[in-house]
Amino acid sequence: MKAYQVDNLTFQIDFSQPLYEQVLMQMRSLIAKGAIGLGEKIPSVRDMAHDLKINPNTVMHAYQELERDGLIEKRRGQGTFVTQSGSRIQQFRNHFAADYTQNYLDKMHALGFNLREINDYIKTQQSGGLSQ
Amino acid sequence: MSEPVIEAKVLSKRYGQKQAIDQLTLQVERGSVTALLGANGAGKSTFFRMVTGLVSPDSGELTVLGRAPGWQTNRQIAYLPDRARWYKQYTTEGTLRFGEQFLPGFDSGLAKKMAEQMHLPFEMPVQGMSKGQEARLMLILCVCRDVPLIILDEPFSGIDGASRAAIMDGLIDAISERQQTLLLSTHEITEAEGLFDNVLFLSKGHLRFSGSAEALRAEFGSIDRLARQLSEEEQL
Repeated sequence: MKAYQVDNLTFQIDFSQPLYEQVLMQMRSLIAKGAIGLGEKIPSVRDMAHDLKINPNTVMHAYQELERDGLIEKRRGQGTFVTQSGSRIQQFRNHFAADYTQNYLDKMHALGFNLREINDYIKTQQSGGLSQ
Repeated sequence: MSEPVIEAKVLSKRYGQKQAIDQLTLQVERGSVTALLGANGAGKSTFFRMVTGLVSPDSGELTVLGRAPGWQTNRQIAYLPDRARWYKQYTTEGTLRFGEQFLPGFDSGLAKKMAEQMHLPFEMPVQGMSKGQEARLMLILCVCRDVPLIILDEPFSGIDGASRAAIMDGLIDAISERQQTLLLSTHEITEAEGLFDNVLFLSKGHLRFSGSAEALRAEFGSIDRLARQLSEEEQL
């Protein structure tokens, strides 16, 4: 795992994992948490490829997926920008939040925990984790 | 899949006692960045020489850009041979002029821009240049050509870190600007593996292993690690 800087954004690239997903997930995260703001310009495919030392086609494919997510939009001759729509981003966050939560609940249920116990785990974890 | 740029079927080539290429069958996908990896003597350079018609196979079939290798295919290939040297008395400027006059598809505007980005001295003849500068100059002659196939045999070997970074930048630009096929061999896998679409591993003249770089990463980890593992197994 190595940290790379593109403009003022930091990416962690690990060459032992597929690169497309890393670029996609990290861009999604940067947009979802507002590290790149509404309507802000994102780095060009070329700059990303140069700074991350990866194939520009990999970056392009990740950007196409972000466009399908509705998170970014291309403007002819100007570059690529984060959507102006805060509700679109909120919708995207909700979708993933629901997904991750369901995933977590499924795993905990599979271990035989009920909702109250799961809640206790979350609280304990939040306040510094389980002591050994 | 569209017709491959290079298709080899059961190719073989023997040099005296050494079986340099041994029943090699492989394809290079059009528009891809394909890495040809393997230990020294695995047959990479011999294969490139076959693709460019410098060596002919003893048996088997080789198709390059839809036909047998020869002068018609060579004008559509930019080839950087292993251990390549350039004419001692040529300056960068003279070299780019040479490219413009003699190399099909040479984009001298792009070449000039790259030479500036790679900090090449314009007036200095090659004999005054460092190894890295000469290598960058020759790389520019290859990657600034609008031809369907670029072949680079060890573009990073014997070149220092700063020059390698400049070469990587040059390759990334070449990939972004055109839909060319780039076939390269390198031992500096860590440096370049982010560029690979496909990977072909040669061992003792035949294809040991191949796949898309992303699929290989998902299954085995980095291409560099996989290459090390394969070469260790080879030595057992």
